[in-house]
Amino acid sequence: MRILWRNVRLFIEGALLSYIALFRWLQPHTYLASKIIMPLAQILFFTLMGIFASGAQNAAFYAVGNAIHIASVNGIYGVTMSVGGDRWSGALPYIFGTPANRLALFSGRAFFHVLDGMLGVMVGLMWGVLLFGLDLSHTDLGGLALAILITTFSTSGLGLLLGCVSLVSIETMFINNTAYFLLLVFSGANIPLAAMPAWMQGVAWGLPLTRGIAAARQLIAGASVPEVAPLLLGEIGLGVLYILLGYTLFRWFEFQAKRRGTLEAF
Amino acid sequence: MTLQTLKQNLRVAYAAFVITLRMNAPDAFVLFTIVVQPLVIAVMAMWMLVERGAANALYVVVGSGMTGLWSTLLFMGGNSINWERWTGTLELMVGQPTPVSVIVFGKNAAVVFQSLLSMVGSYSVAAILFRQSLVVEQPLLFAVSLILTTAAFVCFGLVIAPMFLLSPAVQHFQNALEFPVYMLCGFLFPIALLPGWTTPLSYLLAPYWAARALHGTSTGGASLQETLFAWGMMLLLGLIYLLISGWLTERMLYKARSEASLRLE
Repeated sequence: MRILWRNVRLFIEGALLSYIALFRWLQPHTYLASKIIMPLAQILFFTLMGIFASGAQNAAFYAVGNAIHIASVNGIYGVTMSVGGDRWSGALPYIFGTPANRLALFSGRAFFHVLDGMLGVMVGLMWGVLLFGLDLSHTDLGGLALAILITTFSTSGLGLLLGCVSLVSIETMFINNTAYFLLLVFSGANIPLAAMPAWMQGVAWGLPLTRGIAAARQLIAGASVPEVAPLLLGEIGLGVLYILLGYTLFRWFEFQAKRRGTLEAF
Repeated sequence: MTLQTLKQNLRVAYAAFVITLRMNAPDAFVLFTIVVQPLVIAVMAMWMLVERGAANALYVVVGSGMTGLWSTLLFMGGNSINWERWTGTLELMVGQPTPVSVIVFGKNAAVVFQSLLSMVGSYSVAAILFRQSLVVEQPLLFAVSLILTTAAFVCFGLVIAPMFLLSPAVQHFQNALEFPVYMLCGFLFPIALLPGWTTPLSYLLAPYWAARALHGTSTGGASLQETLFAWGMMLLLGLIYLLISGWLTERMLYKARSEASLRLE
């Protein structure tokens, strides 16, 4: 019981400190730019392009898809920078030198980004309501909040995996940017999955966000939670899978770095 | 300005052009903004616009290529002075006799020249991946439009670079400036979709006129008068940008020297 409590404390404190460390340089206008205005601009751009392509009656498809995709601002950029930041700030030797539970420590890097990511998605949906008349009157709002939570969780799982890559690569931003934009294509945020070739659909279903976006669209259209439960369970499964993959990689890097003495070498 | 001074300035601008090309070539971030991002946008736009018959493939090639032009200018051109500060060479740049804006001009020209690759990438996506037949309807006018576009973008970059240095608050919004310009300049959809109050803003942006000229000449959708008007606007705005950038650069240098903050962020 004491060990469990110690690990929970490690998880929470590690998560909080990692989040504060990442955003220590942030001022309100930086947060405003990256978490409010940039997502708004992205939602506007793709939704207007969608309207140009297929008419205003389809605006909700693009507004919802892009609002949910905003989860990857935290999930990809935030989490990756939290994990990679340990290396950049020179904290990695101390972290690997402690006897702390690695899973609690590693997964804690994503915790606050899941919460912050949820907020980002909600702001995105709010833009959809205000600017494109997104109709939430038939929506189970609790169910939608659950779908958003699960989607930000699974996207953060991918972020943890990519964060591990940032421990051995200096091209973190290239990897993050590419992942972020590829999710825009493959997640179905802007292109209906049915319109994609079979190989792209295969890739799409292996990525986070795809099921989350599909579930959110159905919930907003009036579906109930049990109806979208398979999608949500699949999204949780993917999130867990990505976290485990990331954790395995994290432990492997720790082992290799200690063995070769390359803890801070790029 | 004497002929000799002009020659010296051109030599320095060319040197800045070459060194920037060489420094950017292995930069993964440049690779992303010039190649990856425009390609991804091209793929989505091909699906969203061309497959549904809302626009033809050349419209998408030009529009997504221009997104690469703007993103590269915003991040690389916008930081062209800041970059010198980060690497500790700003004092040397300011201390030598050639005006700073000449060096920034050379650097921005390199950035815009490199980012023209975005168009090649978008063209390849449309031609190879989507098997579109791509024929530029007015090749000569398109070529002139492309040259003027390059010049207009370079001049626009000359305004952004000192502005980012003068006001860190503006630079904090750098990431957020990417998509608004895509929209305001009508790269991939007409500005008529935006609220009416944004139209004057579009008219003040040379990339908007560049998009009009390139879209019009590539698809053959613009008359000669419309193309000439867009060229005229690019030239006029380019000139205005040069004047503004000269004033901003002077202010930036005065502020940095008087506050002894040349190296400080």
